Amino acid sequence: MASDKKYWQSVEELKGSSIVETLSENEFVEEIPTDQFLGDKETLENSSTSRRDFLKYVGFTTAAASLAACEGPVRKSIPYVVKPDDVTLGVADWYATSMADGYDFANVLVKTREGRPIQIMPNKEANGTTSARVQAAVLSLYDEKLRLKEPTKGGEAISWADADKEVKAKLSELKEANKSVVLLTGSMASPSTDKIIEGFIAANPNAKHVVYDAVSESGAADAFMAMYGKRALPNYHLDKAKTIVSFGADFLGDFHGGLEKSYVAGRKSETGHMSYHVQVESNMSLTGANSDKRVVVKPSDQVFALLNLYNAVTGANVPSKATSVDSTVKKLASDLKKSGSKGVVLTGLNDKNAQLIALAINKALNSEIIDINNTLNIRQGNDAEVSQLISDMKSGKVAGLISYNVDPIYSLSNSSDFSEGLKKLELSVALSTENNETVNASNFVLPTPHFLESWGDAQFDSVTYGLMQPTIQPLFNTRQVQDALLNWSGDATKYYDYLKSFATTNILGGSSWNKALHNGFFTKEVVNSEANLAEVSISDAAAKLSSSAKKASGFELNLYTKTGLGDGKQANNPWLQEFPDPITRASWDNYLMMSMADARELGFSNPVKDNGAIDGDYAKVSVNGKEVVVPVMVQPGQAIGSVGLALGYGKTFGLNEEMQVGVNAYPLYTNGNNIQYGVTVEKVSGTHKFACTQVQKTIAGRHDILKVASLKQVTSNADPKHTWNKPAFVSYDHNEVEAKTIDLWDEHNREIGHHFNLSIDLTSCTGCGACVVACHAENNVPVVGKKEVRVGRDMHWLRIDRYYSSEIATREEAKAQGLSGGDLYKAIETEAENPEVTFQPMMCQHCNHAPCETVCPVAATSHGRQGQNQMAYNRCVGTRYCANNCPYRVRRFNWFNYSNNNEFDFNMNNEYGKMVLNPDVVVRSRGVMEKCSMCIQMTQATILKAKKEGRAVNTDEFETACSSACTTGAMVFGDINNKEDKVAALVEDKKAYGVLDYLQTKPNVIYQVKVKNTNEA
Amino acid sequence: MSHYEAPIREPLVLGDKSYHDITEDIAKPIEGAANKNWYIAFYISLAAMLWGFGCIFYTVGTGIGVWGLNKNIGWAWDITNFVWWVGIGHAGTLISAVLLLFRQKWRMAINRSAEAMTIFAVFQAGLFPIIHMGRPWNGYWVLPMPNQFGSLWVNFNSPLLWDVFAISTYLSVSLVFWWTGLLPDFAMIRDRAVKPFQKKIYALLSFGWSGRAKDWQRFEEVSLVLAGLATPLVLSVHTIVSMDFATSINPGWHSTIFPPYFVAGAIFSGFAMVQTLLGIMRKVTNLEDYITRMHIEYMNIVIILTGGIVAVAYATEFFIAWYTGSPYENYTYLSVGAATGPYAWAFWSLIIFNIITPQLLWIKKFRRSFIITFIISIAINIGMWFERFDIIAIVLSKGHLPSTWWRFEPTFVDVGIFVGTIGFFFVLFLLYARTFPVIAQAEVKTILKSSGEFYKKRREQGIPTKPAINVVNVAGTSDKSNKE
Repeated sequence: MASDKKYWQSVEELKGSSIVETLSENEFVEEIPTDQFLGDKETLENSSTSRRDFLKYVGFTTAAASLAACEGPVRKSIPYVVKPDDVTLGVADWYATSMADGYDFANVLVKTREGRPIQIMPNKEANGTTSARVQAAVLSLYDEKLRLKEPTKGGEAISWADADKEVKAKLSELKEANKSVVLLTGSMASPSTDKIIEGFIAANPNAKHVVYDAVSESGAADAFMAMYGKRALPNYHLDKAKTIVSFGADFLGDFHGGLEKSYVAGRKSETGHMSYHVQVESNMSLTGANSDKRVVVKPSDQVFALLNLYNAVTGANVPSKATSVDSTVKKLASDLKKSGSKGVVLTGLNDKNAQLIALAINKALNSEIIDINNTLNIRQGNDAEVSQLISDMKSGKVAGLISYNVDPIYSLSNSSDFSEGLKKLELSVALSTENNETVNASNFVLPTPHFLESWGDAQFDSVTYGLMQPTIQPLFNTRQVQDALLNWSGDATKYYDYLKSFATTNILGGSSWNKALHNGFFTKEVVNSEANLAEVSISDAAAKLSSSAKKASGFELNLYTKTGLGDGKQANNPWLQEFPDPITRASWDNYLMMSMADARELGFSNPVKDNGAIDGDYAKVSVNGKEVVVPVMVQPGQAIGSVGLALGYGKTFGLNEEMQVGVNAYPLYTNGNNIQYGVTVEKVSGTHKFACTQVQKTIAGRHDILKVASLKQVTSNADPKHTWNKPAFVSYDHNEVEAKTIDLWDEHNREIGHHFNLSIDLTSCTGCGACVVACHAENNVPVVGKKEVRVGRDMHWLRIDRYYSSEIATREEAKAQGLSGGDLYKAIETEAENPEVTFQPMMCQHCNHAPCETVCPVAATSHGRQGQNQMAYNRCVGTRYCANNCPYRVRRFNWFNYSNNNEFDFNMNNEYGKMVLNPDVVVRSRGVMEKCSMCIQMTQATILKAKKEGRAVNTDEFETACSSACTTGAMVFGDINNKEDKVAALVEDKKAYGVLDYLQTKPNVIYQVKVKNTNEA
Repeated sequence: MSHYEAPIREPLVLGDKSYHDITEDIAKPIEGAANKNWYIAFYISLAAMLWGFGCIFYTVGTGIGVWGLNKNIGWAWDITNFVWWVGIGHAGTLISAVLLLFRQKWRMAINRSAEAMTIFAVFQAGLFPIIHMGRPWNGYWVLPMPNQFGSLWVNFNSPLLWDVFAISTYLSVSLVFWWTGLLPDFAMIRDRAVKPFQKKIYALLSFGWSGRAKDWQRFEEVSLVLAGLATPLVLSVHTIVSMDFATSINPGWHSTIFPPYFVAGAIFSGFAMVQTLLGIMRKVTNLEDYITRMHIEYMNIVIILTGGIVAVAYATEFFIAWYTGSPYENYTYLSVGAATGPYAWAFWSLIIFNIITPQLLWIKKFRRSFIITFIISIAINIGMWFERFDIIAIVLSKGHLPSTWWRFEPTFVDVGIFVGTIGFFFVLFLLYARTFPVIAQAEVKTILKSSGEFYKKRREQGIPTKPAINVVNVAGTSDKSNKE
């Protein structure tokens, strides 16, 4: 209805009186006499505004202006106008998804807050595991520096439509000319993507798919193919194993994506089942460090030892050579035979023949441990096809290359051949999440989203099908590779629809899509694909293997991947760069690991400087005509005659300056072979500054810190208190009594409410460090950079101490050998040439009698009723007395401002990186002390949730970031006042002890004695 | 007033001095112009002080990270310097309070400067607990003040808090004691001053001292009361400082011997510093007649005594470290581990400077030699600094868990602040030497007749001496009339 209402201000206006009009035209009834005071120049000149007055006005105005400017910067936070249904401010949402970045594969849960993913945790329902890298992947999402932000062609921005048009035109041109196009991807293990690629190849018959893994396990896949007719990796059920013999297979590291979960499940002294694990290796690997027995041989001898073992187990007589460890090998053979089907042999040599021998031994043992039906799909790279591709590119046989998330120019040993070939191509398209050299050299650059922004699926092994769902709106103008390929194959379907229908029809078998998506995974029945047992000539393989190993000369180089950086995909991730290597405890570096004997001979050393840091000498390493200059780290337990070097470092293109550390070892990685013979090592001038978080290598005879017992001791009936788990005793009333029975104070009643304890099983802890990164993410722990780590200022709330054994373990032994004074200390403080290794996660012990609490002058740190030692950052004035009085040295001081500071240009200094910060935990300012809080924000959230739901807290509902990240279940957190909680029984366990119990700090973190199986099979 | 003194005792005032000569001698540096040496020393100290202040501003503005500390060594030079300066500040009160109670007349020549040194040293010491804080702008939180932060209160369990009380009490009592003693001397300067401004200033400083008998009576009473009050402080301050360490659980810190050992060490270092300062001052200000060989010798005897206590404490610490058999004691600052470890140089510096060098003082010739005393006093100052450095840095560098063993290396800021406090100290001391009567002349006059060389000789020769008359006027203007 049209309105003809008229609004008026006065009756005159309503009536339309003329005065209104007149007035409106002439607003000022009287003429304002501006001329009188401005027009008359003379008056103006004679005005009373003297210079003095003028200065007053200027002064006043300036003061007023500066006062007005004195206002804190205003940051607008805009509330939701319409609140999304699934977002409640302050309440985290968890999404189940899958990680598959080509090297790391995992079923994960992603914690999002207000639409931002802030943490990745293992999806335990799916039996998922996370490593340090998986945990840290959430930060790579926010890598503003490296992530591609928009499609470009030849460096110029281009729209998606134009890019598609041009790529399609070129593809059809190449199709008509029948010129070959290659789709080069990493391992994706994605059935739906495989289907899409099939479709793409159907649409473009000139296309071919080549899978390229920067760090290859092609040898294992080829061997499996040869023997069982299927190109995949066998799975190993190490939990059932009785004897595990590994020839350089770092299965607690990256071998087959890591088998730590099943390995640790098979090493439980309390159930009486504990596998006997022997590691035959040259580098000191995480797996070797955890083994019951470590046999140190250089790589070529590893090969002969493997062949000798084959001979000993099968009674065959394949060509080999005697090694120094033959007697041990014989013993191993008999152990294996005794274990029968419960024995297993693994090898990490990326060589088809070596893998065949290992498979043959397992076959001869009739091993149940190796699973040939349920195989792993996570390493599909094919070295032969990749090298074929490069020669084809060079010769011009390939005209088009579509690469996805690979960087061969960085990671190929013959990368110059690849770049040369790349230049000859008619079409080069790089689909990539992050910028890299290959992307830079390609014509079309099409950004793809991070896996946390993507839809997708991943078939990790034959039974576990993982689904991937976006947990955040894409940060940049990206499009998934699947959408691109669908588009280019002429399929208009969106990938989400495609995935849904694909999964529903092919995988889920009638069960709900929504449920599978909610769970993040779907488990299929084990497919008993009757393995096609091809007849392989083992003797042939052995002959080849033996003859190639016999050619070994000079130093032998064992290339490996580090727990922190892996293949180097996340090299721009500050959490991973700062993550100390579990073995060497060096961060921000890779280095040449060299045995102590070789180092002495060649004159390499790692002197400790006055500031506590370690220096190193440089070595020039040459192999196959390629040279790199790397710093040397003298590594106890490294085989004499061998050196180790980690891949994944030395990446520079597009990285933040701070992250451009280490040396690129890929040029030495010829043919994807992790063992290189004929290496020369030469000392060159220069001093390298290492950034290690631990300098002292042994435990210096202080064995009550880290207790180790043998399986025999633990399972015997002897009283642990007097044998293998001795508590501290003190003299009281002329009697030797347990220290814990004496107390200066009246004990608080700790049975009211919750009382938190954390139990850490040193047997189950492999030292993988997932907890370290989880703690970083949960607690906004700052990254401080290489220089600061070097001088001992890393901020890790949770660290994993690593101790090597010394030749003389205790003071008593040293005294028995006639040592005293400085010589005695030297004896117990110098690591053995071939030491045993122990790990000990160390964080705030939340002592009930906390030494830190009594010394703080302002009571900034005090005890909570739930057992936590609490740190009130706001109250802290930073005297550092608490840190000095902490016997565990777990308190970390903010030496500088680590956020919004260009001196520390890491994730807390840019708008994207800050999105990963946990809003429940404050970012600390400089000058305050911080430390592990036992994730009080998590325990409080749990309590509040239970309260809101009107129930008691469930059994084992409490968790901390470290305990939920712990793959092997070494860390168990809970409420000891709830007797059902797992931890309540653990703290009473006969293996339980508190570190430094002679001080009687009464920690709430309890350790379980490390058990080693020295019994043998 | 004047008492009898055995002729066998050496005179405390040399030469043929009259009361007026004393006045003249003491007032000379204040009334005269400064010489070139004074200016050179002053400007060097001022430069060092400004450099130190620059380093402090840099620290406060940037963060404690500009020092060489790390996750395992939370204190090093900061607290070393703190304890060192507090220790130096110990001699003053001992000399003025304890020796007063024991009626040691020889203290009169040195107590003024010793107390000045105390106060200036405590200023330096007081700087460190403040600037070593991560957030010094919140430093006032260590004071038990009613506040609006909620129910926040300080932690009375913390030795650092006891430090706050101990140091502030010590500083205020020392200051009052010092000032009380200064009153008649300020009045003397006031009365002699010719420039009106100077007169006004000294009039203010002397609190209207009139020199009446009542003034003197009260002066004596207050001095005695303050001496009584200050005597426990001699023991308490360093006892409490030692508790910073002794109440902690670090092997090498956690030691019941610390309080007496720290007090002895503090007196040891305090006397050494007095020797250093007076050695220079007696020359520069021509006070050789008042600060005599005998004064130096007496102080050296105190040094031998306290140094001996300290040496016994060291031996005890070393023995206990070995005797416990505990691996955690391997690396206490006085142990075989420390003697052979990476900080062996600091360990041996301590032994050489603090134990071996002072033993030379057993020899009378050395004890009475100004130059040897001066050298030894410097050695003790260095040795005592190393003692604190060893206690703090060596112990922290080898904590309970071997994984946390680390080392400390100072940065230029650490060094700069330390040098700056030395500069600050000397700036204050040099200004003091030019503006304050550096010897308690009123008190010295009381012993002139009994312990002055001239009078003693006359007594020895059997020449009768007139009793010192008109004692009440020693500080007044009627000095001249007393001249014999």
